[in-house]
Amino acid sequence: MSEKEQEIVVKIKRFSQDKGNYWQEYKVNVDRFTQMTEVLRRIKTEQDPSLSYRASCHMAVCGSCGMKINGEPRLACKTLALDIVKKYNSNVITLEPMDYFQPIKDLVVDLDDFYDRMFKVKPRLYPDKEVLEGKAEQRLKPEDQRELWKFEQCIWCGLCVSGCPSVRNDPEFLGPAAHAKGYRFLADPRDTIYEERLKILIDSSWRCTYCYQCFNVCPRDVEPVTTIKKTRAHTRFLKDRSAVAEIGEKHIEAIEESIKDSGMIKEAEVYLKTYGVIASLTDLIYAFQNGKLKYAFVKEMKVKNMDQIRKIMGD
Amino acid sequence: MKVAYYPGCATHGLSKDVDIATKKVADVLGLELVEVEDWNCCGGGFLDERDEKVHTALNLRNLSNVEKMGLEKMVTPCSVCLQSHRLASTKYKENRDLRKEVDKKLKEANINYSGKATAEHIVWILVRDVGLEKIKSNVKKPLTGLKVGAYYGCQMLRPEQVMGFEPSFHPHSMEDLISVTGATPVSFPMQTACCGFPLMGSNPKIGLKLAYNVMNSAKSKEADIMVHPCSLCHLQLDVTQLKVKAEFNLPWTMPAIYITQLLGLSFGFSAEELGISKIAQQILKEKGVI
Repeated sequence: MSEKEQEIVVKIKRFSQDKGNYWQEYKVNVDRFTQMTEVLRRIKTEQDPSLSYRASCHMAVCGSCGMKINGEPRLACKTLALDIVKKYNSNVITLEPMDYFQPIKDLVVDLDDFYDRMFKVKPRLYPDKEVLEGKAEQRLKPEDQRELWKFEQCIWCGLCVSGCPSVRNDPEFLGPAAHAKGYRFLADPRDTIYEERLKILIDSSWRCTYCYQCFNVCPRDVEPVTTIKKTRAHTRFLKDRSAVAEIGEKHIEAIEESIKDSGMIKEAEVYLKTYGVIASLTDLIYAFQNGKLKYAFVKEMKVKNMDQIRKIMGD
Repeated sequence: MKVAYYPGCATHGLSKDVDIATKKVADVLGLELVEVEDWNCCGGGFLDERDEKVHTALNLRNLSNVEKMGLEKMVTPCSVCLQSHRLASTKYKENRDLRKEVDKKLKEANINYSGKATAEHIVWILVRDVGLEKIKSNVKKPLTGLKVGAYYGCQMLRPEQVMGFEPSFHPHSMEDLISVTGATPVSFPMQTACCGFPLMGSNPKIGLKLAYNVMNSAKSKEADIMVHPCSLCHLQLDVTQLKVKAEFNLPWTMPAIYITQLLGLSFGFSAEELGISKIAQQILKEKGVI
C-alpha cells in the first residue's frame, strides 16, 4: 500500500431471495481518486463475485449506481471514498440499497414503479404538427432555455423518490423526479399538450410536503421541489380541480392576501379562508384542550412601512 | 452577544410560547436578542410558488433592516423562516436574471441590501456561539430521568448546501442541547423526516399521517417527549397533537416542546412561565420533572 493509500472497511447490506437481508464486510485500499463504484468493482472482481450492484457510465450521467452511502442517498460514481471518510471521520463506510424500492439482489433494486411514474407525465416534447412535417421550425428563446435547462438535467436515478416521504405515504403523488420532468415540458413553449399536462400534474403537485429531501439528494442539482412550486402556480389555469388542488390554491391565496394586507400572515384569517368556519372551530377546540387557545387571539401586528411591501408585491 | 431577532408570524401567533421561552433562555445566557425593526413575513415557505421575485425581495427587506441596525446575524427560532431567508439570499447571489429583477423591486421600494446580513437558527447560535459549556453552567435543575426524542424536521437541515451547519443525515445539535440539560437524548429513525405541516393546507390526511409517523417513531424508541426546532413543527406536533391522537385512535400522546422550552425547564423556569402545553405538562409531571 502506498503512503497515499488508505484502507477502508466497506459494510454492505446484502439481500437475496434465499438469505434475506444480511451485512457483509470487505476491506479495500483506496486513494483520493477512488470512486465508490471502483470500490465495488474491486470487491466484485477481487474478493466476491457474488456481489450485485448497478453501475455503468461512472460519470454521473446514466443514473444507475444510486444507493445509500452512510445513510445518504447518493450516486456511488459521484462519491469519492475518502471524501466520505473525511466527512464522517471514520474509515467504515456503509452501503445499502435505495429506500422505498424493492431490493432484487444486494444493491440492485426494482425500478419499475419509478419508471411507471416517469412515463405517466409523458416525458417527451409534443411539437407542433407543422414542425413534425418539416414545414416549420421552432426555436427556443435563450431566456426560455435558461428556465428549462436546470430541470432538464434529471438522469432518472431515483434517489429523490427513494428519499421522498410523500411518495411512500400517498400513492397519488407522482414523486419529485416525475414532477421535474413534467414541469420541464409544461414550461416549454414548443410543447402542444399544455392542458393535458396540467391535468396530469396539478393534483399531484399539491401532495408534495416541501421537505426538501429531493433538493438535498439530487446529484444533478435539479431541485425537483422548485418545479413542484412552479407547477402549482399554474393551478389557476385548470378548470376542473381536485379537492386537494382546490383547498391548496385557497390556502396560498389566503397567505398572499394576508401578506399584501398586513405584511404578515394573520393565522386566524388564513385558517378561516382556507378551511371555512366549521373546520377552524374544530381546530380551536383542539387548541383549547391543549391550553393553546390564548395564543389564537394574540393581537397581530402590521408592518409599519406597508408602502415598501406594496411596492414589492406590485400593487 | 447581540444578534437581530426575527420571530416570524407563527412565533408571534399560535406558537407564541416559542417566543416566550426563547427570550427567557437568551436572557439567562446573556444573548441579547434585538427584534428586527418593522419585519415582514418571509412568505411562510409558500409565497415563492406564487412569485419568486416577490418572495426574494420580501426576505431581503428583512435582511436589509438587520444591516440598518448595524448587525449581520439575524437569528430566528423558526426553521421555515430560516430556510426562506437563506434560499432567498442564495438565489439572489447565484441567479443573475433573478437578481436583476429583484434589484428593480428593491430600488422601487427604496431598500438597500449589501449581502452581509444572513439568517441563522437559534439552535446554531446556542451550540456554536453561546457554547454548550456556558449553557450547562446555567442548568439549575437537571432533567435527570427524562428521555427526550431529538427531532430536527426538514428546513433547519435541508438543503444541506444552503443550510450548511451540520450533516443533514447525521445531525447532532439537538442531542447535544438535550444532553446539557441532564435529560437523556433519544435518537429515532424519523428524526429528520417531515412533520407534515406544509401538507395541512392542501392534503391534511397525509399531513397528519406524516406527523403520526414521527410521533410513533419517537415512541418506538421509548422517548417520553420530543423537542423540535421550529415554530411550524410546533403547530403540527404540539397544537395539532390531539388531532393526530383522535385521527389514529391512539392510546398515547408524544408531546413535542420547543428546544428552548426544554432548556428553560433546566434553567429553573416553571412550565407555565414557558407556556408549555397541557399534554406536555402531564408527561413532565409523571416523570417528576415538574
